[in-house]
Amino acid sequence: MKSVLQFIFWLLVAFVALFLAIVLGERGAWYLAWVLGTVMIILIAVAGTVMLDARYEDDPLE
Amino acid sequence: MHSLDTVVDLSRWQFAATVLYHFIFVPLTLGLSMLLATIETVYVITGRAIYRQMTLFWSKLFAINFALGVATGLTMEFQFGTNWSTYSHYVGDIFGAPLAIEGLMAFFLESTMVGLMLFGWGKLSRGKHLLVTYMVALGSNLSALWILIANGYMQSPVGSTFNPATMRMELTSFSNLVFNPDAQAKFVHTSIAGYLTAAMFVLGISAFYMLRKRHIELAKRSFRVAALFGIFASIAVICLGDALGFINGADQPTKLAAMEGLWKTAPAPAGFNLIAWPNQAEQKNEFELQIPYLLTPLVTHSFTESIPGVDALEKQAAQRIRNGIPALVALKTLREHPNDAAALAQFNAHKADLGYARLVQRYAPDVSNATGAQIQKAAADSIPPVAPVFWSFRIMVAAAFLMLGFLILAVNYSLRGTIVDKRWFLKVAPWMIPVPFIANEAGWLVAELGRQPWTVYEQLPTWISASTHSVGYMIFSLTGFVLLYSIFIVIEMYLMVKYIRLGPDDDGHGATESATQPRVSQWSEA
Repeated sequence: MKSVLQFIFWLLVAFVALFLAIVLGERGAWYLAWVLGTVMIILIAVAGTVMLDARYEDDPLE
Repeated sequence: MHSLDTVVDLSRWQFAATVLYHFIFVPLTLGLSMLLATIETVYVITGRAIYRQMTLFWSKLFAINFALGVATGLTMEFQFGTNWSTYSHYVGDIFGAPLAIEGLMAFFLESTMVGLMLFGWGKLSRGKHLLVTYMVALGSNLSALWILIANGYMQSPVGSTFNPATMRMELTSFSNLVFNPDAQAKFVHTSIAGYLTAAMFVLGISAFYMLRKRHIELAKRSFRVAALFGIFASIAVICLGDALGFINGADQPTKLAAMEGLWKTAPAPAGFNLIAWPNQAEQKNEFELQIPYLLTPLVTHSFTESIPGVDALEKQAAQRIRNGIPALVALKTLREHPNDAAALAQFNAHKADLGYARLVQRYAPDVSNATGAQIQKAAADSIPPVAPVFWSFRIMVAAAFLMLGFLILAVNYSLRGTIVDKRWFLKVAPWMIPVPFIANEAGWLVAELGRQPWTVYEQLPTWISASTHSVGYMIFSLTGFVLLYSIFIVIEMYLMVKYIRLGPDDDGHGATESATQPRVSQWSEA
């Protein structure tokens, strides 16, 4: 039951994301750019930090 | 008339002072909330205690800044009613909605979530706390969105029409207001400038710690996150600045001419004035250093489109003033005889230039008798103050490129893992903290001074927008605001320096874990 509810929740999230992408892409291209840009900046900063952390964790010189 | 001019000038000074103070805090709130969410995401993913310690430390500085940002922002909204009552009456139907939503975003969503973020540690699971931090970031930025939608309307009034029956502007399309291209580009530019401000702030303080060999683990990691976060923000803010310039160039040619010190319409492709000394009285640049052919592709994204200079824009303004005068005359008739069909027809035929007629009303209260000289004087008023707009723009752009260069080096040293050894760079970094703040203030000056002489572009002149306070009242309140806000700045600086000096060890949450402590189970309750 929990899995079904989780599935429905993420399905709704996907619908909202699609709806926003369509509406913002059509009328608010810069707003969509902000959403995508912010997500990209956060993802790259997080991924880069995790990667560098793992890299230097075993490096006693750093 | 002189007293009225003085009251308008003092009202402008008061609003400018409060906004300039407020805008010191806002970009840092916008950016630091996103950066906090980024750091906390790393904490939730890796489960390393050092990232929890980092989140706690930076959220302490965020809280100080947030509190003072809210305190300085409150009075601004009241000023629309107290000092700009004509403006509020004229466009309140449109301006009121985004301003009210901004208040709801700031005080309900943002402030509630800030409380949960600061005091929810240990009470919420890590996943839930992260969600709250993201809601703080979203709330801060959505709050900025609505105030910039309101500002976008002042820059490029869309989705509204003037109703001669009520003598005010009325909203015709809420979606046009929200999706106004000026508001969109301005929001994205401002929000990302906030990210850049936060990145430079975190980089500077982290460098300070590394230089002093204090909190090295926290400082190194904070530096890495901020460098990666900042480099993309820096590139984005420059690209979006170009987009905003492109939109403004089409919507507000007077602002563009002032930004570029363009007195005469030059054949395409026009040269870009890298440095110049504009002389508004004689409508020329005393000195200019020009890069040939650059301006046209820069602002029109073409090589053939001509950019109107001040000379052409003044001629257009004079023509529009003449065309708008019958609308203003008809409006006077409609005020006394609302059902006068001839007056309504005359108004509708000339209403597009109603705002321009109001410019000459300053010199000729009975506009139907306005002389050629008065019209010419009003047309000259339609050009914003060129030198401050020109130089503010260049300061902003120079600061943006300086930060980009700095961040390229910061990322390079971070990726190589050599940042701790680059003493010269660590010494420079704290001095870079003021740079984004200077750029933000300069950007605000370009946007708002460049809109003059209008509060609502081509609709409502500034000279007519203010309340009818006495000069003494305005001097008293302006002095009070400057003193109070200066105290706020001192308090902010004192608290920031105090908590930066104390560092992350004394955070009251017992979060003194080292980077080598074992990882915590990834999704466990905190």
